[in-house]
Amino acid sequence: MHTEHDRVTRFAALMADYERPMRRLCSAYADRAADRDDLFQEIFLAVWRALPAFRGEASERTWLYRIAHNVALTWQARQRRREARESPLTEQSGVAAEVDVRALELQRAVARMRPGDRTLVLLWLEGLSAAEIEDVTGIKAATVAVRLSRIRKSLRPNEVMP
Amino acid sequence: MTDDASVLQAAWMSSPPTSGDQRRTTVDLILERDRASRLRERRQQIGAVIVMLLLVPVLVWAAVYGISPLVRTAYALMTVGCVAGVAAQWFFLDGSRRALPGPSDTRSQLRNSAFMLECQGWLARTAALWSAPVFVGVLLIGLWLYRERSAAEAVALFALDVGVWIATGIFVGRAGSVLARRRRQLEDALSDLDARDSA
Repeated sequence: MHTEHDRVTRFAALMADYERPMRRLCSAYADRAADRDDLFQEIFLAVWRALPAFRGEASERTWLYRIAHNVALTWQARQRRREARESPLTEQSGVAAEVDVRALELQRAVARMRPGDRTLVLLWLEGLSAAEIEDVTGIKAATVAVRLSRIRKSLRPNEVMP
Repeated sequence: MTDDASVLQAAWMSSPPTSGDQRRTTVDLILERDRASRLRERRQQIGAVIVMLLLVPVLVWAAVYGISPLVRTAYALMTVGCVAGVAAQWFFLDGSRRALPGPSDTRSQLRNSAFMLECQGWLARTAALWSAPVFVGVLLIGLWLYRERSAAEAVALFALDVGVWIATGIFVGRAGSVLARRRRQLEDALSDLDARDSA
């Protein structure tokens, strides 16, 4: 990273590549659109600050997911009180036609999970392997596999749509 | 809904795309947030430097050349209190900086952030104690006023001093409670992440 311009270019490219996964992650942590935007900006603010120290020793993807989950968990602890959950289906009615209803059901189910389970399942849903999840969370890959197997069972219809 | 991996992952990833214009605006907003936060931090550092360079020398001078031993003791205490206040502010800012989420693995990050929040919380809860030299110093000046000038002036100064001392303890102590609550939430998330699964 040589100049400020290089840093901005690299940052914009990272955002282009990871915007959608990060928006999905935000939807699992924040109910309101304004909160999701705030969390999204906090994640990329942390990415911007960490960028000069990134030398590529870790994969870009796991590096970014580490930052994102660390910011999300810290952000959630900072919220004064959890407000009554708004229905993502109601709030996103403007884009309902574009969004798969199953995705919204899944979003709700993930949002209801405990923080540890939610972190693991979000990484798995984004297609990270157990080894990559170990790299992001610090939990052994074997433990990750066992826990994910249990969490996936909880995503069956009677659990997801009470 | 099903627990089939590919179906769940496909459903999850079916979010709508965002436009390039929106992304550019977000980049600008983030860079602006970064600039604003660095500016805020610089202002706090400048405030601490001003206290150290302007206020402390004046207090030291008064502690050395004050008109009576009582006044000299009062200013000496206020000097100690000011230095303690600047040091506390420095530790607090340093703690905030080190608690910022970065690219560590989640367990290490949560552990580190919880520890830093505990340190900051302790600093906030004990604010009435480490700021005591300043307020005791002012009380001694009030005592000097009582002896040398008038009881009314002394009582007014006592009341103001004790009022600000109590308000400081309450206000900063409340901030300490907020930090303690955040630390507990991070520790809950950490223990939840660490939970072994017997299933």
